[in-house]
Amino acid sequence: SFNVGALYKTTAGFSDDAVPRAKTAQLKLEHYYKVAVDSAIERNTRRVELERRLQTEATLSDERKQRQLQQLGKKESTYLRLRRTKLGLDDFRTVKVIGKGAFGEVRLVQKIDTGKIYAMKTLKKDEMLKKDQLAHVRAERDVLAESDSPWVVQLFYSFQDPSYLYLIMEFLPGGDLMTMLIKYDTFSEDVTRFYIAECVLAIEAVHKLGFIHRDIKPDNILIDKDGHIKLSDFGLSTGFQKKHDSSYYQRLLDPTHATTSPTTAAQAQRNSVMVNSINLTMSNKDQIATWKANRRKLAYSTVGTPDYIAPEIFLQKGYGKECDWWSLGAIMFECLVGYPPFCSDSTHETYQKIMQWPHYLLFPEDVHLSRESEDMIKRLITSADRRLPVEQIKKHPFFYGVDWDTIRRIDAPFVPHLRSITDTSYFPTDEIDQADEERAADSNEASKDLAFLGYTFKRTLGKRVRGPG
Amino acid sequence: PSPTITTPKPLYLSSPFVEAALVKGNFKTIVMLPKYVDIMEWVAVNIFDFYTNLNEFYGVIAECCNQQSCPKMSAGPALNYTWINQDRKSVHLAAPTYIDYVMTWVQNLLDDDNTFPTKAGHEFPPSFPSTVKHVYRQLLRVFAHIYHAHYHQILHLRSEPHFNSLFAHFLAFGREYELLEVKDVKGSSSAPVGVGQLWEAWRQMGILEG
Ligand SMILES: Nc1ncnc2c1ncn2[C@@H]1O[C@H](COP(=O)(O)OP(=O)(O)OP(=O)(O)O)[C@@H](O)[C@H]1O
Repeated sequence: SFNVGALYKTTAGFSDDAVPRAKTAQLKLEHYYKVAVDSAIERNTRRVELERRLQTEATLSDERKQRQLQQLGKKESTYLRLRRTKLGLDDFRTVKVIGKGAFGEVRLVQKIDTGKIYAMKTLKKDEMLKKDQLAHVRAERDVLAESDSPWVVQLFYSFQDPSYLYLIMEFLPGGDLMTMLIKYDTFSEDVTRFYIAECVLAIEAVHKLGFIHRDIKPDNILIDKDGHIKLSDFGLSTGFQKKHDSSYYQRLLDPTHATTSPTTAAQAQRNSVMVNSINLTMSNKDQIATWKANRRKLAYSTVGTPDYIAPEIFLQKGYGKECDWWSLGAIMFECLVGYPPFCSDSTHETYQKIMQWPHYLLFPEDVHLSRESEDMIKRLITSADRRLPVEQIKKHPFFYGVDWDTIRRIDAPFVPHLRSITDTSYFPTDEIDQADEERAADSNEASKDLAFLGYTFKRTLGKRVRGPG
Repeated sequence: PSPTITTPKPLYLSSPFVEAALVKGNFKTIVMLPKYVDIMEWVAVNIFDFYTNLNEFYGVIAECCNQQSCPKMSAGPALNYTWINQDRKSVHLAAPTYIDYVMTWVQNLLDDDNTFPTKAGHEFPPSFPSTVKHVYRQLLRVFAHIYHAHYHQILHLRSEPHFNSLFAHFLAFGREYELLEVKDVKGSSSAPVGVGQLWEAWRQMGILEG
């Protein structure tokens, strides 16, 4: 017999990081076997389900049944192949740049070998490190990857190179709600009811996955080919259990560090009181015009727009999923009024207004809102403890007549007219710089890469494949 | 009394290490070919994973596997593997060099779309079964060297349950798809492979049944 303790001691002689590296290898292997067992079970379930279903189909010939089973096998095999596939930028051809976000852009791309169309989001690693957004991108990846929901944009692959992260998602050809609001100014109550009702279900779906979105805004509400919505951009979302780091917002709240919207920064600093009083006397039309003029610029800036963020998020005290219902209230207001309730010339001022929302939630006189709409908004834009929970939101008189179970299948108010699978007419492509960014990789990238370890992802078939089809 | 010096039983054959495992039960669930799935794809992705996982652990051990500690690619008290060089001659290489050659060679095969196709529509070549057998044999040697020469370091890093399970899975898979020859696992009677005994031990424990 021997002494294990002594053995451990005498064989030391590893470098300092050997133990943590061994730990990493162990964790990866544990993960590998967990996934291996899970996927074996899931694969089995898919097969058994299909076999059972085929058995009940009396009208189908044996040959057709056999073919369906072979097709399932083919699908499973393709997925296995995908696991070995190292996807890279070379595998995609850019059709057009269709969107810009805080950390990169969104392109319409075509996968070269299959010809399939996707939306590709690029995120610049050093920007993300600078802004401390690492946890966030991980969260985004996770939400998208875990979800099997019709209300959430599907993620198919993710990969990285030294400078960028890439998310390959399903392409939603209808653009986003922000672009739609820029185009239409306001919606009728019926149209608003449709979009807000769909958002209620989408937010509920995200919550059921165990996530809080935290950054729901019209830019993140995308329109599919049939005119229905899906949520994207989980950049700021967090799992329920995680504690939120509010220092980011604290910095924004601090007037000495106030970040203002790009165009009006100087002006706002000179006489913020003036701007405020002018806004109050502006007609609704002027207000809309001002708002619209700055809206897209704000969407492209790294600061982003705080217009839809709930007040409790800015505080140190923590928050729950109710914060997403506040955002929905702000969006609903915007759909009916033309601008969000706390919009201002500077982000700093917007924060202030949100914090003092009882003074600033004003319904303009020149816009007529039904009693139900106004009440709905007031029950969303209110303190967290009084905000309605989802069951009661669904029962609110504003949603009278909405069939929650079938809404995704009814005709949407605006159905995009698409001429091809690569039609980008619903995106402001002429406002976006189409030039290819310099993608030169600099040399000291290795350490940076560590931070993004484990980012690479390939979609599992999960519950999606219920049988060939 | 035997005239030879009896070598002590290797640690990996001793209790409790021989029983240490991350994955309990037998490997049938994850080794078996899923119904209707293409066997080539199944073998390909598994080899890909064995390579990746083994590489991960060797990457940690590598700093202890150098020209001085391992001047030969040893796998048993009387066994050193040789490498066939460009002139088709058997040569002895230091273990780190040998393993580097193996891993680089396998990586290149995995990256080669003509051997391990990944693009849609590309088929596996007819030579695929013989290529992967070759790959398997070389990966076995890497396992064999780590067990023989670096098991105490695996223990030091407390990775023995993980490494055992990876190797047991590798053996179970290799036998199921006839990628492994018994003679390669056990070696010859004059130069046995150390892990050959481990294979026997695990078989008796019922770990490798499929
Ligand atoms: N899957 C998609 N299909 C079609 N268009 C998309 C898709 N994803 C994003 N877009 C377009 O790109 C725009 C920017 O995307 P997104 O909001 O996800 O970027 P971002 O970098 O996360 O920005 P931010 O974090 O500031 O919101 C969206 O408003 C939308 O117009």
